[in-house]
Amino acid sequence: MKLEDKIFKWFDDRFKLKELLTPIIKHPAPEYAVTNPLYCLGGIAFLCFLILVGTGVFLAMYYKPTPLEAYKSVEHIMTAVPMGSLIRSLHHWAANTMIAAVMLHMMRIYFMGAYKKPRELNWVVGVTLLLITTTFGFSGYLLPWDQLAFWATKIGTGIAGSIPILGQYISLILVGGTDIGAETMTRFFAIHVMILPITIAILLLMHFAMVRIQGISGRL
Amino acid sequence: MSLIEIEKHEVEEERHEPVRIRGFPFFPHFLLREVVVMCLIAGSLILMASLYPAGLLKPADPFDTPTPIYPEWYFLYVFGFLKFWTWDIGPIEAKVIGVTLPMVLWYGLLFMVPFIDRNPSSDIRKRKFAVAMGVIALLGILYFTYYSIVYH
Repeated sequence: MKLEDKIFKWFDDRFKLKELLTPIIKHPAPEYAVTNPLYCLGGIAFLCFLILVGTGVFLAMYYKPTPLEAYKSVEHIMTAVPMGSLIRSLHHWAANTMIAAVMLHMMRIYFMGAYKKPRELNWVVGVTLLLITTTFGFSGYLLPWDQLAFWATKIGTGIAGSIPILGQYISLILVGGTDIGAETMTRFFAIHVMILPITIAILLLMHFAMVRIQGISGRL
Repeated sequence: MSLIEIEKHEVEEERHEPVRIRGFPFFPHFLLREVVVMCLIAGSLILMASLYPAGLLKPADPFDTPTPIYPEWYFLYVFGFLKFWTWDIGPIEAKVIGVTLPMVLWYGLLFMVPFIDRNPSSDIRKRKFAVAMGVIALLGILYFTYYSIVYH
């Protein structure tokens, strides 16, 4: 018996791995889903999400969410931290690619009519995921605290503030006062690295579980 | 490659007999394709990140408004629509309409898609209305994105 078989057997004896893994491993993927590259878009978005989690954790180790320190810490990441520039740029590119992939994924689902019975709720979760992904982008935009970050956030919170009835509360919750400042930064940081990651993780689990239970829509 | 065949029982009423669907096992066939695509995408992302690093402008200055300022590309259509819509309707200000339509109404409609489109067919030739609405929405988003850049 080879060493890897021994290791597998040790775990299998204790956790019944074979029973657990066989349905996952043997679960058939329809032929058209394997050969048609349009079916990759959701997976691409998920890969970007994983890259964003990885690079984001590294960025959080150096980033300081205060108006005085934020810009300097990002500058430090870009110039002094080993591989810092690559990690931040990767975070930037993965973020934009994820949003594009989520949008294209939604367009495929729409034009193929894959949201129809019994998959209505998975479409609703999917649109929520699109909303969360763009909110991720929006909250991350402010964090470097450069001119683009500040003024784009000013426009964004201004736009959100003009939504009838709810707008003023959304704006107050986001900005944490009347002007964009230290309160806004810590809020956006908390939203970007705590609230949204937990929310998206739960919704992604629901999204994948529903695909698993209902199968991929096969009627093109 | 080892093709496997399974019987899939459709839940729809129109089909009573099970439909045979040709499929590949998740592992290794489906996963292999996923891994190949993921490697390609990860490689491209690293390439783009090294060639075009993320920018960093001057530190934020609340007293110096730069021109032009754009929001993120995926919000440009909201920004464009806000600039496009200059008509008040009764007591409702143009600005409020310009924000509500592309954000609240648009996302509301997106959420409701499966409940609005009750057509059971997923054959693209039998759902001309849904496809037409999709194309119009897509062209609208592209137009207002273009509008926000050109008429800044």
